[in-house]
Amino acid sequence: MTRLEIAWPDAALERVHAARGRIEKAAPALRRMTVGDRIDAVARTLASWTAPDSPYRRELVELLGEASPMHHDTVAEGLESALRAWDPARFRDCCRAELASVPFGPPSDGPARGARRIAPFDWTAVLAGGSIPMPTLLSGLLPLVGGSPVLLRETSKDPVTGGLLKRSLTAVQPDLARAFEPVAFPAEDDAALDAFLAAPCVVATGSDETIRAVGHKLQPSQRLVAYGHRFSLAVLGPGCLRDASGLERVVTDLALDVARWDQSGCLSPAVVYLLGIEEEDRPSVAHALSGALERWAGGLPRGEIPVEVLASKAFECEEARMRAAAGRAVLVLDGAGGTVILEDTPAPRPAPLHRFLRLLPVRDEAELLERLEPYRGHLSSVALAGLDEPTEMSLEGALARLGVSRVTEPGRLQTPPVDWPHDGMPLLIPMLRFVQSDRARTP
Amino acid sequence: MKREVLEAEILEWMNEGAWRRDEERFERLALALFRLQFAHCEPYARYARALGRTPDDVERAAEIPAVPTGAFKEFDLRGFAPEQTVHTFRTSGTSAGKRGQLHLDTLDLYEASLLASLRQCLLRELVGRAPLMRFLAPPPDEAPDSSLTHMFETLRRAEGAPGSAYDLHGGRLDVETLRRAIHRVDRSPADGEDETPIVLAGTSFAFVHLLDAVTSAKGSSDAAAPWRLPHGSRVLETGGFKGRSREVPADVLREALARLFDIPERSIVNQYGMTELGSQFYDSTLSDPVGPRRKLAPPWTRVRLLDPATGLDVPDGAVGRIRIDDLANTGSVAAIQTADLGRAVLDDDGEAIGFEVLGREAGAEMRGCSIATDVMLSDGRAAERSAGSGETLR
Repeated sequence: MTRLEIAWPDAALERVHAARGRIEKAAPALRRMTVGDRIDAVARTLASWTAPDSPYRRELVELLGEASPMHHDTVAEGLESALRAWDPARFRDCCRAELASVPFGPPSDGPARGARRIAPFDWTAVLAGGSIPMPTLLSGLLPLVGGSPVLLRETSKDPVTGGLLKRSLTAVQPDLARAFEPVAFPAEDDAALDAFLAAPCVVATGSDETIRAVGHKLQPSQRLVAYGHRFSLAVLGPGCLRDASGLERVVTDLALDVARWDQSGCLSPAVVYLLGIEEEDRPSVAHALSGALERWAGGLPRGEIPVEVLASKAFECEEARMRAAAGRAVLVLDGAGGTVILEDTPAPRPAPLHRFLRLLPVRDEAELLERLEPYRGHLSSVALAGLDEPTEMSLEGALARLGVSRVTEPGRLQTPPVDWPHDGMPLLIPMLRFVQSDRARTP
Repeated sequence: MKREVLEAEILEWMNEGAWRRDEERFERLALALFRLQFAHCEPYARYARALGRTPDDVERAAEIPAVPTGAFKEFDLRGFAPEQTVHTFRTSGTSAGKRGQLHLDTLDLYEASLLASLRQCLLRELVGRAPLMRFLAPPPDEAPDSSLTHMFETLRRAEGAPGSAYDLHGGRLDVETLRRAIHRVDRSPADGEDETPIVLAGTSFAFVHLLDAVTSAKGSSDAAAPWRLPHGSRVLETGGFKGRSREVPADVLREALARLFDIPERSIVNQYGMTELGSQFYDSTLSDPVGPRRKLAPPWTRVRLLDPATGLDVPDGAVGRIRIDDLANTGSVAAIQTADLGRAVLDDDGEAIGFEVLGREAGAEMRGCSIATDVMLSDGRAAERSAGSGETLR
């Protein structure tokens, strides 16, 4: 029997229109819920993902493991550890703290004079990005707290999280689930994209080019919440070398940050600065880190490495070997578990990633900050270890001024808490709209 | 073998006219050149020793250690005394990064190589007919260390008509002067004679600026100005965009230029080259109009595609790192490992007949944040490869 397939020219556009129609129809029921009820429902949905026996997480591991170039075990550990760090109670507390000035009771109560309330967007378009599902999970849920239905555009690299999220919402609160629709369409389908970006609030995660392109398509009256590209790093001080076990612990944790998600995503450390570590001590850090990467490769096997990454890595190793051959204090440790290059200067160099780490020496805090200055606004998280307390305190402030949104310790870079101010923004507020009534209430 | 003797033989090869591959000849010259360069270029010798591949260890040209292009930024890779330097070409600079440098104590091979390739791949039947040439690049006095400008100037002097000139001054493209120059060409040849063709050469981003300028002029008095080039004209474009104009995919740029100038797409030839090399690689479309578009390697060069994991040659048709052995690089290092990826182009019998350079976008989708991180953490090197131009278009 011949199977006839017809590609309908406006199919994607019609899918977007239909999905938008469904969520708009579901909007009144969503808004009839109190803010407190919505927070609670979203928190319970999160809990259904973070629970140790979560069926959604199990299914996501299986489906994403098949679709992703990463190894199944690496996907499983990445999801497990990231969701373990998401505490639903902490989510509730964060929402309540951010919405402290908003009444949580039924809408009919009305605000007191001068009080503000949420004025929900008619709908919110969430443009997912990347292959790590954590941002998709969170940005898909947050607008619902504000009473805005959500249309989530999935990425080709993760076509599964949206559908599973809808199923988990259905199990917790059907009114919430009806106000959430995942939709897929090709990036080059301009008509579908334009219809999608007609939302009064657009939440976008992606490359700088994607964010720029989305921004150009929006009107000034539309809200754009953008999560662009960032990178993370680690700073190790001489304290790491005080004893062998201390160094082992730090490099094991740091290597875990590198191995997780194969060092993709903004939370992966792309570079390590050795602050104030003497030249003769630096090779021991490099060797220890290389050894730790080899060990992690057993439990978190490396995924498929794209040819351009392999080429870039080979190129960087060759350049470094040439510097080493010239008698400079450069060390190249290229193993099956990853690559570590110890440099003799803090000059910026490419980071091919996929478990490739460069160690750059800096004399002191001032030199570190000078080196980081060009990346102002592009930094996400920083792990600190082996520094004395005054240096840590001073660095935390300076890093915050450079736009770093989280300072933590090795081993925790990839597992931020659920209320982490992603890109320096509060969790909920950027996606919400408020109205304030100054009108005297009729007695 | 003494360097003068070696250079004389390489020059002779370059000046033979028709390109003829000769593997035995290449092997002999490459090994002799490696011996010389190992003896006279200290950073290269140290690298070769570290890899355990000295002239005593190496028996075939394929075993000669290749230096990564980035090494030209960090090391003085010259096999002669600094005071013998007659010219230094530099890669385009960035605010944070060092610039790669190719030092030369003679321009003879450099110029012989570029002219031989341009005559073979671009000029063809225009050799000796002195076509008008216009260059969308800065003139030599504005870009003395640009290898691209030097190439254009060598071409202009050797083959260009009087009036051949540069149309990029002080970082600005002089669109009106270029338009008038194209207009002045004789469009009404006598019976039996062809129109006089024009050669336009420049960087890809300069051509994009030209396209944008022409587009924005539509509706003004210039709207009717035809940009049609005479029959037989051709365009040479080279280099990436490096953030100096909007990025346009190669096929889209070619199509737009063909439409603007009313010439067939095969008359638009792309060059793959880099400051670190003495030779360049051009599209095949004029020398083989019916075959697939690919880059052709002059016989005194060897292009290999290597598996990034093993360092071995990839099977024909597979993607590999581009390594180039260029006998024109007598004064520095002949074996160069580029940061680029390429693939052999095969004929109907499965024989490699050239190669294509793959864009950085291959795999970009999969890498996500990685690319941005790479660009942010490097000194812009990632964005400045594949072009022999040292100029800027401000």
